[in-house]
Formats: sequence, structure tokens, C-alpha cells
Amino acid sequence: MKEIKVAVAGNPNSGKSTLINAIAGTNLQVGNWPGVTVEKKTATIKFDDLTINLVDLPGTYSLSPYTQEEIIARDFLVKEKPDLIIDVVDSTNLERNLYLTIQLLELDIPVVIALNIYDEAKKKGYEIDIEKLEQLLGVKAIPTVATKKEGIKELLQVLKDFASGINPIVPKKFNYGDVEESLKIVETALKINDPGLLNRYPSRWLVLKLLENDELVLKETGLKGDEKFLKQAVSHFLKSHDEDMESIIADIRYGIAHGVTRDVLKKREKKHIDFTEKIDRIVLNRYLGIPIFLIAMWFVFKLAFDFSAPFSDWLDSVISGPVTKWTTVLLNAAKSPEWFVSLVTEGIIAGVGAVLVFIPVIAVMMFIITLLEGSGYMARVAFIMDRLMHSIGLHGKSFIPLILGFGCNVPSIYATRVLETERDRKLTAMLVPLMSCGARLPVYAIFIGAFFAKNAPTVLWSLYVLGIFMAILLGLVLKKTLFKGFAPVFIMELPPYRVPLFRDLMIHTWQKLRHFVIKAGTYIFAVSVIMWFMLNTPYGVEKENSALGRVGKTISPVFEPLGFGTWEASSSLVAGLIAKEVVVSTMAQIYGTDNGQKDNSEGKEGTKGFLEDLKNVAISFFNAVVDAFQNLLAGFGIKSLQVEEEEEMTTLKSKLQEIFTPLNAYAFLVFVLLYWPCVVVGIAMRQEFGSWKLYGQTILIHSIIAWLVAFLIYQGGRFLGF
Amino acid sequence: MIPLALIESGEKVEIIDFVKKGKSLFNHLRDIGIFAGKIVEVVSNQGHGPLLLRIDEARIAIGRGMAMKIMVRRLQ
Repeated sequence: MKEIKVAVAGNPNSGKSTLINAIAGTNLQVGNWPGVTVEKKTATIKFDDLTINLVDLPGTYSLSPYTQEEIIARDFLVKEKPDLIIDVVDSTNLERNLYLTIQLLELDIPVVIALNIYDEAKKKGYEIDIEKLEQLLGVKAIPTVATKKEGIKELLQVLKDFASGINPIVPKKFNYGDVEESLKIVETALKINDPGLLNRYPSRWLVLKLLENDELVLKETGLKGDEKFLKQAVSHFLKSHDEDMESIIADIRYGIAHGVTRDVLKKREKKHIDFTEKIDRIVLNRYLGIPIFLIAMWFVFKLAFDFSAPFSDWLDSVISGPVTKWTTVLLNAAKSPEWFVSLVTEGIIAGVGAVLVFIPVIAVMMFIITLLEGSGYMARVAFIMDRLMHSIGLHGKSFIPLILGFGCNVPSIYATRVLETERDRKLTAMLVPLMSCGARLPVYAIFIGAFFAKNAPTVLWSLYVLGIFMAILLGLVLKKTLFKGFAPVFIMELPPYRVPLFRDLMIHTWQKLRHFVIKAGTYIFAVSVIMWFMLNTPYGVEKENSALGRVGKTISPVFEPLGFGTWEASSSLVAGLIAKEVVVSTMAQIYGTDNGQKDNSEGKEGTKGFLEDLKNVAISFFNAVVDAFQNLLAGFGIKSLQVEEEEEMTTLKSKLQEIFTPLNAYAFLVFVLLYWPCVVVGIAMRQEFGSWKLYGQTILIHSIIAWLVAFLIYQGGRFLGF
Repeated sequence: MIPLALIESGEKVEIIDFVKKGKSLFNHLRDIGIFAGKIVEVVSNQGHGPLLLRIDEARIAIGRGMAMKIMVRRLQ
């Protein structure tokens, strides 16, 4: 049994991730690199008697330490010392990709090049002299077409031959011309001063990095960068050139990449139609770009909401119906105390269920994001929106997570991954909760129905617009305060349009979704238990005297100036931390509209048997599938976004009409729109940014904003005599 | 020499120099293929918003602010 450690490196858009999927298939495991939010994929696969431990490095253009991805990639290569590197190269773009290859060769680790997207290169009339490429670089090179799984077996065979020693791969040491002399000076000095260093790192790489005055390497080696031998090594350069060493060495690397490409690549001019260019001419057009984007967005929302709504409803009815009912039956049969039954059903099942209901929406959203990314359109959206986003201190790429926030804020937080810098990611994540998500709709719906039935669309629209307006305002403020510094710089490669593989889309969607279900499930479980205890301790007392009621009572003076300083409203708002629609369900519980109903439904369903229930679950699932596709095809307008009146809410509505006035009802809605984002968003933030700090800041800032705006509306309204 | 941002769609230019070299940014530009001596084609410059460049076979979008800081020479 032999085992080798293989790192997979390559440029972004080289088809690296498709190649990894093709090699590893379902063995792929996704996690994060320690301490950062960059995705880490690993897989252990068997090829005959060889065990291959694959580690996918982040896609990078270079190994210079300027982006998180580059630092991760090179740290792994230098410290973990893999036995071999698979370098995924875009065959249609050889010269650019070889720039990274040249840097990989400096590490003195054997390199196997996967000449990926080989079919397109052939179509373009490119001829690559593979043998010569291998010879010039000291590598093995295998043409691959990852999307069709071509060349994978050959690639693995090369790994096997290498592991068994049949096929040694010796990386070529290139002559770096004038720099060689400087390299020798540094190496000699190190041999005398600190020979241990040369053993710890790949020696040529170390010496190059010291010459480049690489800050991270200097820090790790304890050198200062102004040592005599370093100064001596570069002195004759700095006299004759006005550039720094880093640029000089980079020029040499580009020179080698250029030279090798010239020697191995023949471009037979073939007339080919560049589809990408044609599509871009329309999609990026200054007049058409934004309308096309809006239409595309409309379809995204329609898909995400209308397609997933029937499944959400189905999950909801299954959880609140048969699951709750039969759990109760089981617990009662086991002679569980009454409070425990209540904890499990009203606390855990209802709480976790409230989040599980979002799974269909999130799944569809994730799928569409992956589709838009994989096809290349997402990069174009960033391009179109760049100018607008600059005004709030962000660049085009931040637009994508924000727009997704209208569906659900949670996938938006995950979508901030498309941004390069921590600053952009955090600032965007902080603005996301101002996008009015679907969970806020039930709250709007009931209040608008009770107070603004005549102007429903306008009031609803005003809330969405207010959210966007506040996001712009907050962006402007945060740009000047918490997120000062760096003007965001927009540089990104627009990949050619490609039809993503369905298999890849499903793999990526599933990976993201599984992450959400597992993590969210555990946190929500805990939060649900806590909320139940809050509402039920001491057990059996009036809701007003429960812990939650008391919390509500204690903080209610805070809401007095906003016009809704009652314990009922405050308690509901606190409960809204779980998910914003919980505000409504808590109100319903508090105002006691649920008791009668529950008795009714229990009486009604109690007559059915378990099998019958199971049958109904299956039938209703089938109906959900039918509904989903019908929704997809049904006309214009987003069905599930319409303000619907639900029957059981009429009691609550008339109750609300007694307590609220239109003015403080609107202030309440504004508060619900703007105040702390739900705990699921918090979980996503924690997962993405590694701590609760950002969520804490967000809660604080958003609550203050919500209070101020609601205050202005209520007091302003009173002043104007509403 | 003229800033890249002022070059019109369809023109080919050679990169000459950078105004105010922020080290990290400058290096990032170089790694993505924008460095002195490189020949690039402006695929699209719509007068506002980012520019679209062709560098070798790759399409690179670059913000207008950045493009103002890259000095180029027109190739005829």
C-alpha cells in the first residue's frame, strides 16, 4: 500500500473545481481552511493499490502573498510539503497560466500539469507540443477535459507511476539570468549564518522570497530584510534599475512563461465565433445591461419563491400536523409529564420546524447562485453594478449578496464569499439584513391587513424601499467609520460563458445546504429550548408573568416613545430573534387566539390513524410538486409575495385593531423591518467570519437604527397630527 | 502617455507605468497580467463604470478609478 499527498493548484477559471469533482466524485469533503473563510476541499481516493490524498488549493494567479487565497496556497505547499502538485492549466490560455506554473517549479516539488479545457483549445486551432512542454518545464503533462471526464484515468496513472518510482519527475530549475548571482550571495550567507533555514524551506524558493523582501517570509524566518548580505545581493540591481526586486523577478517569470509558450504552442488561425464576446456585447451594454439583469433577477425570485413555496408549506404542515401529533401521542404513551410534552412539541418541534421550513427556499437559492456563478453571468452582474455600488464604499461584486437578501438573508451571508477582502465581506454582510426578507412578510401582511388594507401595495412597497434607503445610508456611514480605509478596487476576470454540469451544480448545492442544515439545526435546537423556557417559567403561569413576559415588561419602556410600549409587543419582538415571522406567532399566542384553535384541530385530527396521516403526507407532497411546477409556469407576478389574508388570523387582527393605531402600527412595522436580524443570520455570520462579534455589532447598530427611525416616524406623525 | 481609462473601445495599448504604486495592489495587477510592457486591448469602455480589457485570451474587468492610474501608450 502506497500513499501520496497531492496538492491541486491552478488559476481561477481553469476548470479546477470541475476537475476535482471528476477525480474525487462523492469522496469530496468540504471544510474551511483553519481560521479563514476560504473553502477547503479534500478527498482520499484509491487508484489500484495507491491511496491518493488530494488537497484542493484555492484558485490563484500567483503565489505572492497579497490575497488570502495566495497565502493559504503557498503556506500549504511550503509547510505541508506535498509529494506532488497537480497544476490545472487552462489550455486556451497557456501563457497566463504558466506564470503560476513557473512559481510552483521554484518549490522543487514534482509537478503534473493537467492541460484542461483541451477540447476548446483544439477547437480554437491551438496545437500544444506536449512532449516539448514536459521537457522544457521538467513536468508531466496530460490533456484533460474535466467536464467530460476525459484524461482523468491517464492523470491518475501518472500519479501511480510516480508513486512507484517508475516515472520520476524532476522540476526544471530555470536560469534567472542576472538574478542568479544575487541568489548565490544570499544562499552562501544563509549557509554560514543559519543553515537550518535552508532545510526547513525549499531552498531556492526561500532565497527568492528573501530577495523579494517578502514580508511574511521575513517574519517567519526572523530576518529583518535589511541584513548586510541581502543589501549586498541586490545593490547592483537597484543602481541600474529603478524597479524593485519583486518586479524584476516577476518579469523574469513572465519572460519564461512567454518563451515556453512560444516554443510549444502553435496557433493555426481558425475562424471561430467567439460566443462569449457576442453575448457580452449585449449583456454588458450600457443601455441593455441593467434591464436584462432585472429580468434575470425576476426569474430568480420567481423560481426561488414560487417553486419552493409549496414545499415549504408541505414541510410546515407535516411538522405542525402529523409530526407534532404523533410525538405527543408517543410521549403521552410513555407517561411523560405535561411540561415535557409541551417543551418537545411547542418548543423544539415548532422552533426547529420554523427554520426547517426555509430549507426549500435556501436550496433553490443556492442552486441558482451556483448556476449563475458557473455559467459566468454572476461576474457580469458585478461588472454592471460596479458604478452604483461604489457610492456606498463597495464594488460590483457586493451587489449579488444584497439582492439575494430579499429572498432570505441567510444565503446572502454565505454569498458574501464571492468578495475578496474581509472588509468587503463584513461590510456587505452588515448591510444584508436591511434587505427585507421573506420572513418579514407575514408580519407586514397581518398589520397591513388590519390597518392599511386600502393602500396595501404602497405601504408594502414603502417598507422595501425604506430598507434599501437605509442600506445606502448605513453603507455611507460605515464606509467613513467602522470600515474606513481601503477604497475597494474592482479587478476581476470575466470567465467565458459555459454551461455548467448539472452534476457539479448538485454537488455544490448539496454541500452548501448540508452545512446549513447541520449547523443551523443544532443552534436552533438550543435557541428553541431556551425560548420555550422563557415563555413557560414558572410553568403554568399567565403568559404575562412568564420569563419572556417579564423581559417584555422590563424593556417595554424603551418602546414607549415609539408608540408600542406594551409587554405584548416587546415580548413578541424579543421572540422575533428566532425568526422574524415568529413575531406574529408569538403575538397570536400571547393574545390567546391559539387555544381554541388548537383544541379544534386536535379534535379534528384525532380521529385519523397513523397510516392515514402518512398517506396524507405523501399525497400532499405530490400536490406540492405539482403546485411547484404550476407556479413556475403560471403567469406574471410573484404569487407567494402577494399579501394574503389567512383565516385564522382574523381574531388576532381585530385584537390588533383595538390596541394599535395606524401610526404606531406603521412604526412597529418599520421597527420589525430594521431591528436585529434573526439568529439564523447570526449563525451564518459566525460560520463565515469565525466569531459572534460581527453579529453582535450588527444587532447593536441595526437596533439603534430601528429605534431612531421608528421614533422619528411615530413622533413626527404625532406632531403632524396623525 | 495617457491614462488607460481614456482609451476607447477597440484600441490596443501598451502599459507604460503606474501612478502612485500601492505595493500590494500593484503586485496584484501584475499577477493578473497588467504590468509595464504588456500589450492589452480595451474591449469595452463605456465612459462610466468599469473597463473590460483583453489580456492574452482572458477578459479582465477593471474599475475606472484604477484605470485612471495606469498610464499607457496607444499602438498603431
